[in-house]
Amino acid sequence: MMSYTTLGGHRRLAATITLVAGGAVAAATWVSGDHSWAIGIAAAFLVLAAVTYIWSGRTGDIAAVLRAGGDERQRGLDRDALALSAQATTVVAVVGAIVQIARTGDPGVFGLFCAVSGVTYAGGLLALRLRR
Amino acid sequence: MRNDVRTRAGRRICPTVNWVSPRVSRQTINSIENGRYLPLLPRATAIARHFHTTAQDVLRSDGKEQ
Repeated sequence: MMSYTTLGGHRRLAATITLVAGGAVAAATWVSGDHSWAIGIAAAFLVLAAVTYIWSGRTGDIAAVLRAGGDERQRGLDRDALALSAQATTVVAVVGAIVQIARTGDPGVFGLFCAVSGVTYAGGLLALRLRR
Repeated sequence: MRNDVRTRAGRRICPTVNWVSPRVSRQTINSIENGRYLPLLPRATAIARHFHTTAQDVLRSDGKEQ
């Protein structure tokens, strides 16, 4: 009986990103002077990276997404989830900017998020329409 | 879109997934068989080739979007 094909990708990818991001957050917390929190954050991200590495070795959809591999359906799941996440972030940024303008007259960091979101979307749309 | 993948195979094609296409997951084959996922043209062509027919014959529109 034939077995299923391994669908490629990089098993260490998600674990490495988790470790790098967690290390950066822990280092920033350490620099701010809260050493016990920094150690806790580093330990939590270490556990998360281990879980991610183990999960990445499995055969399911989420494992394929964690490896940045898989077939076109699994890559589509990743792309759609990412788009959903971006939409949610943009809505929060726009609402936050409106509330901040009403309260202080300055959108603050929400304005930056709105600008990045809008410029990235417009740039992406212009670039992608040339490729498809 | 609907597809005749399951009825054409006479049985589920999961056990033979490797020769339908070299890079497809068990979950994706399940989704195609159950009509939840419409494969892209290269994949549909590979499935059709497996059944010695055309993609148009395997995947047919029932007037609804997926």
